[in-house]
Amino acid sequence: MLVGIPLESKHSHVVAPKDCADEMSAYLVLVGQSRCQRSFAEVFNYFAPRLRSYALKQMGNEALAMELVQDTMSNVWQKSHLFNAEKGAPSTWIFTIARNIRFDMLRKQRNRKEDICADDLWPVLCEQTADVNEVSLDEQITLQELGVLFEELPKKQREVIEAIYIEGKSQQEVAEQFNIPLGTVKSRTRLALQRLKEMLKDND
Amino acid sequence: MINFHPDLVHLRAFAQGTCPTNLALMVSAHVDMCPRCQALVMQAQEEIGSEVFSASSDVIDTPPDYNDMLQQIMQSPAFEVPEVKAISNILELDGKRFELPRALARYSEKTGNWSRLVGKLWQAPVDLGQEGQANFIYMEKGGKVPEHTHKGTEFTLVIDGQFSDGLADYDCGDFTIMDSTNKHMPFSEADEGCLVFTMVDKPLYFTSGLARLLNPFSQLFFK
Ligand SMILES: [Zn+2]
Repeated sequence: MLVGIPLESKHSHVVAPKDCADEMSAYLVLVGQSRCQRSFAEVFNYFAPRLRSYALKQMGNEALAMELVQDTMSNVWQKSHLFNAEKGAPSTWIFTIARNIRFDMLRKQRNRKEDICADDLWPVLCEQTADVNEVSLDEQITLQELGVLFEELPKKQREVIEAIYIEGKSQQEVAEQFNIPLGTVKSRTRLALQRLKEMLKDND
Repeated sequence: MINFHPDLVHLRAFAQGTCPTNLALMVSAHVDMCPRCQALVMQAQEEIGSEVFSASSDVIDTPPDYNDMLQQIMQSPAFEVPEVKAISNILELDGKRFELPRALARYSEKTGNWSRLVGKLWQAPVDLGQEGQANFIYMEKGGKVPEHTHKGTEFTLVIDGQFSDGLADYDCGDFTIMDSTNKHMPFSEADEGCLVFTMVDKPLYFTSGLARLLNPFSQLFFK
């Protein structure tokens, strides 16, 4: 990395993918926040043709390729509020959406029973985040009361909940601490919170 | 500690969405359990995404008129995130409870009955529709699968506990692929036994002594 180069010069070249990613990311966030049609058009105009090229190569069929483009870009429009710029680039997010749609399209085409669908195999980037933070514990309860309830949780769930809600660790830190996948931390947290909620209801 | 991971080629194909569905299911379950492979898949997705959508990626021939599509899409309403329905991921056997990885959670209910096989082995078949059949196999402490080789390919993922097979020791999260070049005899000496999720595309072929008698029936077992 060269130090001392004025910022300007970085931008004087052809748009590097990284810069473009930031730009697209910003548009997507706008779409998510305010359903901004102009921003969506920017996103669409960049991604749709490239997605079509990719789809043509993968599926070798114009009609299927266009179906993939339409379904993917519809998803992008409809789920833009779930896009999280901190979790990854728009190209990653849109690719994973397209990949999942393509997988389900091919299965349908082969008349496969849809036993295993794409969402089982690849939880899509953004939708993984629709989790714990949405579940809010009743804040009235004291730690002491909670402690009593904690005793009733399975040990593995309790450890995770304590680390997050008492020690204030992030889910990622908890995953590392216990050497378990992030997904497991999330599912344990979810199950534990549900259980706690039920117990709280019964307590009322 | 996970020592056996899917090949990088498989992880990449999984990220790309091009690997066979049954392998994808195994890889997906492993990835749920393995932070290393989770990171590798994320990275692969990122790479593939930026390749597919790079600014310089060639846009093929005459593009169609996208305007209708664009307008139509923007008519559609925002997607509402459905309330997360909690699928239990607990598999039960004989009073024991096992926590399944996310990708396999849905089979906690679809699992047929557990049946006791030879010795200290239990099997619960899982119907994968046209992808064939998979099995949860539980080895109690001291449980052994007779020595066998494979006519096809055998995928195994350790869900809980540990087992060995004369080739190596496997721990929770380990994933292996065995074929006709591997002969092994899985057994568990772990106090809590060992639960694995396994798929074979052809019946096993038992190789040792009396176990050979099992061959005509092998498709009844681990098919
Ligand atoms: Zn791994």
